[in-house]
Amino acid sequence: MEVQRQTNLETFSSKDLEKALQRIKKSIWVFHLNTGSCNGCDIEILDVLTPWFDVERFGIKLVASPRHADVVLLTGPITIKTLPRLVKALRAVPRPRLVLAIGSCAVGGNIWFNSYATLGGFPNIIDKLNELGIIIDKVVYVPGCPARPEAIIYGVAVMLNLIKQKSHYKKVKT
Amino acid sequence: MESLSTSSEFENLYSYLKRFSDRLVEEEDNLRIVVESEKLREVAEVLSKTEGVFLRTIAASDERSVNGFYKMYYVFGIDKIHRNIVIEVPVDPSDPVVPSITDIVKAADWYEKEAHDLMGIKFSGRTLYKFVLPDDWPDNVYPLRKDYTVQDLVKLYRPEIVTKAKEVEAEAAIIIPIGPYHPALHEPEYFELYVRGEKVVDARYVGFMVHRGIEKLAESMKYDQVPFLAERICGICGFVHSCSYCQAVEKALKIPVPERAEYIRSIVLEIERIHSHLLWLGVAFHLLGYDTGFMHIWRIREQVMILAELLTGSRKTYGLNIIGGVRRDIDRDKAKKCLQVLDNIEKEFKNFVDAAINVPQIKSRLRRTGLLPKSEATSLSLVGPTVRGSGIPRDIRKDYPYAAYKYIDFKPVVRSECDNMARTEVRIYEIFQSIELVKNFLDRIPEGDIAVDSWEPEPYKFGIGAVEAPRGEVIHIVITGRYSPYRWRARAPTYQNLPAIPIMLRDIELADAPITIASIDPCFSCTDRALIIDISSNNVKSVPLNILSLKSSKLFR
Amino acid sequence: MVKFVKVIPIAVKVGTVTIKYPYAKPLVTDSFRGAIEVNPSKCTGCGACTRICPPKALSMSIEGETAILRYFIGRCIFCGMCADVCPEKAIKITKEFELASEQVFDLYVDVEHEVVTCKRCGSKFVTSRLLNKVEQKLEEFPKELLYLCPRCRRIEMLSKQTYLR
Repeated sequence: MEVQRQTNLETFSSKDLEKALQRIKKSIWVFHLNTGSCNGCDIEILDVLTPWFDVERFGIKLVASPRHADVVLLTGPITIKTLPRLVKALRAVPRPRLVLAIGSCAVGGNIWFNSYATLGGFPNIIDKLNELGIIIDKVVYVPGCPARPEAIIYGVAVMLNLIKQKSHYKKVKT
Repeated sequence: MESLSTSSEFENLYSYLKRFSDRLVEEEDNLRIVVESEKLREVAEVLSKTEGVFLRTIAASDERSVNGFYKMYYVFGIDKIHRNIVIEVPVDPSDPVVPSITDIVKAADWYEKEAHDLMGIKFSGRTLYKFVLPDDWPDNVYPLRKDYTVQDLVKLYRPEIVTKAKEVEAEAAIIIPIGPYHPALHEPEYFELYVRGEKVVDARYVGFMVHRGIEKLAESMKYDQVPFLAERICGICGFVHSCSYCQAVEKALKIPVPERAEYIRSIVLEIERIHSHLLWLGVAFHLLGYDTGFMHIWRIREQVMILAELLTGSRKTYGLNIIGGVRRDIDRDKAKKCLQVLDNIEKEFKNFVDAAINVPQIKSRLRRTGLLPKSEATSLSLVGPTVRGSGIPRDIRKDYPYAAYKYIDFKPVVRSECDNMARTEVRIYEIFQSIELVKNFLDRIPEGDIAVDSWEPEPYKFGIGAVEAPRGEVIHIVITGRYSPYRWRARAPTYQNLPAIPIMLRDIELADAPITIASIDPCFSCTDRALIIDISSNNVKSVPLNILSLKSSKLFR
Repeated sequence: MVKFVKVIPIAVKVGTVTIKYPYAKPLVTDSFRGAIEVNPSKCTGCGACTRICPPKALSMSIEGETAILRYFIGRCIFCGMCADVCPEKAIKITKEFELASEQVFDLYVDVEHEVVTCKRCGSKFVTSRLLNKVEQKLEEFPKELLYLCPRCRRIEMLSKQTYLR
């Protein structure tokens, strides 16, 4: 079912990732994947395409099939019913697999992170996906509820190595 | 104001119900009757034959720790006199069977399936199948029963990522050839359209991918945390859910909400209506191939989002409600800015929509397609602009007034043509009406507190809160507990409207299907894809809805 | 008939509305709620914020010799209830939304507190700041009962009473 890429899976190194990111800096094609979100982040993604933010000036466009995608925009806390579809869609994305996890649901599971009907966000399934042979080359997490259009643009810039991220782990003593 | 006991029109109904008088309780808005399950079908028959009575919602509740039974609550509403009739049916835990009323009251279908899935109550006289939960969910584990906590359920079921991911349900019945489109759907919910050639014969909705276990989760959260949970039920009309929950608790515990808070809630509700209708209009234009319209409408809509951020602190999911009032005030500067922005939007929108509605492809695609006859709309108890486009003036703001709508007078926008154009016109005129309403509210808003100082929770009180969302009626039922809601039932308007899709899609051209589905304004992500099943050739294709829809628009270029 | 051509002058009149973020400032208003910031000099570690937080993004735990108030930006819903509820007004709501990061680990912020050990059983039961605050407020409270965890305090008070009797 899956077309074998030229680059062998084992030898897809971080240097290959760098080269791939250089190549797609011109115009990335994004695929929107909704794993059970409330649609708040989804309409902010659509908003990024409209005249006020107009991400098409960067050459970004939405595609209909995961096979044509450079970056997968993932929203939603991954409910138990959407899991098979998620796996199928991610498997169809060619390497390098870049995932932009948008919104508090995709990053940490939001209020239902420990519910019986969700898996609690993207970080919880990365290992399981690796076991199945679906290697995710780079993930960028964009918090927000819903994530602002400007925050999504910032996330895309971090994904393409255009900006260094501002968030870092901090520990302060009282 | 009339009540059921004093109304002349419903005299017969009242005298019939009084026969159950030993278990009848008359509260301010609700007439609560306890009916044994043997008598349920008879009562349902009487209510469905009375004109002006609509089924609003049905909820199942586990009250074994309170009185030893499960309880089914059937809420019927009489719009004209603003009263509810709540039929409570106690269900024996050792043999939880209730007769089904779906053949008498068509609208009860989905509610019974859901009660079976989540509470384990069986309904005799109909078929039942897994509706909300996934197919491999363990048998005899019913999430909403008090036997399980949320952690127990997590231990009982975690989904397996199978290496051969399950195909869509259609595979069991029909062979799927791998066609030009990849069957991996990226939108969770979708519609299966059964076609013969280019005409649609039937449709089935496959959904509940967004089931997150919210009602169960609320039973372990505090009262003031639940409005934030409710707001994220839907990211487009979230504020109505949060208002509806707060109203249900406030009604149950008789908490006096200050008038200023009611006005603020109404103002933000109308602003949400404007944003939602503009969003829908843009998506409708996009589906009809008129992308210029999509871009212009969303450009106009952006100002509403910025206004909402100024008033509440966030572009969406406002986080404004707590029990007993609101958290942030609207001061004079914000009110002035609000009026400025609304004037701007009104001018721009009027200019644009005058031009856009007269685009040839729009007019001809919307007129006379997707017919929803008035009789069907009444028997299914539909809500919102869907039903107002078929000549029935149902509007919760008028029928069961709440918040600041109790203090003003206005007429709901109604059209009688029953087609897609009628529903579009209802929404367009509602945008203008909402702008007027906000101006009216800002004019009349009184000084005062924005929240009550304190309130005390009392367990096992019953309250119903309903709000007119952009899509229709949102109704929440709350049974209070000591520190958190004992049972919370949230019902969104699309749940009530989706059963109408197969009726609207009967015998229409395939290319008209997307705009017809979109005309009930479902949460937009489920209008993105459709599964086309050609029953004459046994062919299944998955198509993006806008590609499907554009086939017809091309004829007008 | 040709009414729809009116769209062209509308488009020309409006011109370009694009906010050229990131080369121009974003559209953030005064009331916007972004990520929160806990002021370490004011926080007493009482945990009121952890109880109201709907997604449990703020959590309090005892790790080793210290108590840690952990803020997980990834799960935060930016509601601001923690700031409303904090008795010390130690939580500030900033306008920060540029929070994207490649590692989930970078989205945590920890505030470390010193803890007080119970004089009787040795368990760590409260932060020293909170205990000092309580000490100041309850001036006449006997000191020997203050440095005991709730369970030991009950035992101590009971044994004192029976002894006195």
